[in-house]
Amino acid sequence: MADLKTLVLGRKDVADLDEETELPHELMTVNMGPSHPAMHGTVRIILTVDGEKVVKSDVQPGYLHRCFEKESEYATYTQIFPYTDRLNYVSPMINNVGYAMAVEKLLGLTGKLPARAEYIRVIVSEVSRITDHMTCVGASAMELGAFGPFLFLLKCREWLYELLEKVSGARLTHSYVRVGGVAKDLPDGWTDELLYTLSQIDPVLVEVEGLLNNNKIFFDRMNGIGRMTREEAIKWGQTGPIARACGLDYDVRKDHPYSVYPELEFDVPVGTRGDCLDRYLVRVEEIKQSMRILRQAIAKLPDGPIMVDDHRVALPPKRDTYNTIESMIRHFKHIMDGIRVPAGEGYTFVEGGNGELGFFVVSDGTGRPYKCYVRSPSFVHLQTSGNLIHGHFIADVVPIFGMINMIGGECDK
Amino acid sequence: MSEPSNNVTLTIDGKAVTVAKGTNVLEAAKSLGIDISAFCYHPGLSIAACCRQCLVSVEKNPKLQPSCQQTVAEGMVVHTTDKQSTLARKQQLEFTLVNHPIDCPICDKAGECTLQKLYFDHDNANSRVDTPKVHKDKVVDIGPHIVLDQERCILCTRCIRTCDEVAHSHQLDMANRGDHEVLTTAPGEQLDNPYSLNTVDVCPVGALTAKDFRFTMRAWELDATPSICNGCATGCNIEIHHRNERAWRLVPRLNAEVNKYWMCDEGRFTYHELHEQRLAGPTLDGLPATWERALKAAGDRLGAIKDTGAIAVVLSATASNEDNFALAKLALAWKAQVYVGAKPPVPSRADDILRDADVNPNSAGVAAIAAALSITPKTTTELETNLGTGAIRALVVLGHDLPLAETARGRLKELDALIVIATHERGPAELASIALPMAAWAERAGTITNRQGKVQRMHGAFPGPGQAVPGWEAVARLANATGQKLSWTAAREVFKDMTAAVPAWKELAWTRDVRPFALRFAGSRG
Repeated sequence: MADLKTLVLGRKDVADLDEETELPHELMTVNMGPSHPAMHGTVRIILTVDGEKVVKSDVQPGYLHRCFEKESEYATYTQIFPYTDRLNYVSPMINNVGYAMAVEKLLGLTGKLPARAEYIRVIVSEVSRITDHMTCVGASAMELGAFGPFLFLLKCREWLYELLEKVSGARLTHSYVRVGGVAKDLPDGWTDELLYTLSQIDPVLVEVEGLLNNNKIFFDRMNGIGRMTREEAIKWGQTGPIARACGLDYDVRKDHPYSVYPELEFDVPVGTRGDCLDRYLVRVEEIKQSMRILRQAIAKLPDGPIMVDDHRVALPPKRDTYNTIESMIRHFKHIMDGIRVPAGEGYTFVEGGNGELGFFVVSDGTGRPYKCYVRSPSFVHLQTSGNLIHGHFIADVVPIFGMINMIGGECDK
Repeated sequence: MSEPSNNVTLTIDGKAVTVAKGTNVLEAAKSLGIDISAFCYHPGLSIAACCRQCLVSVEKNPKLQPSCQQTVAEGMVVHTTDKQSTLARKQQLEFTLVNHPIDCPICDKAGECTLQKLYFDHDNANSRVDTPKVHKDKVVDIGPHIVLDQERCILCTRCIRTCDEVAHSHQLDMANRGDHEVLTTAPGEQLDNPYSLNTVDVCPVGALTAKDFRFTMRAWELDATPSICNGCATGCNIEIHHRNERAWRLVPRLNAEVNKYWMCDEGRFTYHELHEQRLAGPTLDGLPATWERALKAAGDRLGAIKDTGAIAVVLSATASNEDNFALAKLALAWKAQVYVGAKPPVPSRADDILRDADVNPNSAGVAAIAAALSITPKTTTELETNLGTGAIRALVVLGHDLPLAETARGRLKELDALIVIATHERGPAELASIALPMAAWAERAGTITNRQGKVQRMHGAFPGPGQAVPGWEAVARLANATGQKLSWTAAREVFKDMTAAVPAWKELAWTRDVRPFALRFAGSRG
């Protein structure tokens, strides 16, 4: 029997709702996405709203599915790098590094790379992390109406993209890292340019923080929105800025150090309340920490080779390829058959822009992986978004989703 | 007292293995999954042990032994990964490469080259020699089908042994010594035996290349589909190497009971036929028509004379078992006269190696199907006579191979209906009032029966041209157009009905369709 409330107000308690019962006619279903300007990437949320309040949500990823894992089984180990670029396309270098480390683990090359290669990998990774966070922070601010910070941050991001383009030849899809090192050395004077760019970014960050941190509208729309406790973060497998905003002091670079991160000094910012504002603050602080890492890494950047001297993975120099049959065959085999990776399986994980980015590679001893699985942080983070937006207003979906920073390419794989 | 055992147990790399007496160490290792590198060894040829690439250490033997020549002995302990034999393999490869030209980018063998594979797997180091390479002749025309590049040759003599032992003709030989040693034709000879292209297959490098294939397609871009050669009654097992919906070459596939590792040159060229003069769509009275119109016309024209016994059916010794079975069933339903069309035999090509005088791939299959259905096919002479007397008013022909005398050929045009289900626009298909397009052997799944009575399975490598359908399907469509119900949806179902009807084939089972295999991922072959 309908109770008084239903009869008078035509409305049920949210808790009474379940999927089988017919929704009261006041509840409305609203589609957000898949092509909505405030949905990062392409994701669709079917919101059931009670007035302005979200009572139920159905998050549907998969609109950007590109068969990363299956495609990898039909590509040589080197050909997979371009695919990894397209996972988290805001920080492709970190994906490159993560994947390369998985293959290197199978080859027994972990820790045997030349120091210069490791430092270059750290430098490009941190540059990528800065671009990732800048995109996230800038876009979220823009979605809340603050267009200025967006332009300022994207301007800085463009400077960094230009630097990465000088390194790799591509603005976005770098494919710069190789198994056993990196594709080519940094251009002359590149580190000086990077230092100069960092010095240009410092004042911009001050400006952006000034515009956002003291902005009442921005503060009110972020503060206390989409809260998650530390326990929930652990339960839901959250990593990266989201987990750290909840007070979970976990950073792969510190807790499972890889590459030359142990030699570099940096702090891991941790939030206290796990709301959108904390996620924003953590990201801004991480930009600063990454810049700190970059300055140290450039100072320490050693000379030397950028590729491990191992004929199993290193392409011969072009001069040799054209002039000796041995190098010619090696080059041919590397390109056509792929580098030969011993049978086995290995998992490595790095601190990606969004959190723990893991690659699980199974080799059957041929030139292409038997299986290449990616643990993409966005996919794991997306599962909580439904819970986070419950009980909030429709307008709050935007900052919550912005701060989860789902990247379609990475989430849908 | 027990018989002396024919088996020998030995240990290779710490693993015990039991093999038949007389086996060589290389094959014994292979049965353990240990791939010992070798150039000159070929399982189908005699042992030369001249490449020294397969050296292994045998305990209690002071020197390394060539594993291809070393036969197994009871209790033998072999090491293939110890320092000594690993180094020997490495150094031998370095030595082989000293004079090898830097040809991979322009070499047809690149991608399926044994030298590339072994270097990458067993050496993968830079050379320590920087003397200039010895130059030899690059483009030597040694026969009608083959070009020799003496620089690329690694002097393994596989090709010489192939000519000697497979074709039984000594047409190739080595000349000179040391780093001036070259492969060349034997005095007064040309490499023109009917099995000459097998030398290209066995050549571990790109020294011998087929004129037919060179510079057409890179090996790693091809897909392979197993099939059976339709060139003669032998039915050599082959692989169709194809890409872009056409075949680029045919290579033999191992079948110890039929063709071993070999096939003849003529068979290799049969793929050209697949792309020439094809019938791509139905025709009606010489003009292109849709299947619907062609079938309706066939139904109308045959319907009038269906019960008069004036319909004749010609089975084909070049079509598959399924196609012939389908048409034979239809002939029974129509109570039609049955003939068999076939290419005339070519006695001059017959030898006791692989080539058969009967150039029809499925003569045995047609005979078996006819016998099982209690049909006694009449001869083509009788067909010519009956065409003359007017006892035949409609003729349904499978295939385009129906050699007839000129007068009988003229009579074909006077029939009420000449319905030809054919792959090519040739022979009776040119005269047909209704021609129905059929997929050729490389374009559909099916079986054929060779001269030994072996029913061998073919797989479709690529689709047929235009609106061509498998022969059995064309027959079924024709049957339905004349009111006979033949309902099959796949070659598998025709095969099932057929094996149930033919006693000798009772035990046969349809094998799963094979998907084309990318040669790029086959690893290097040799």
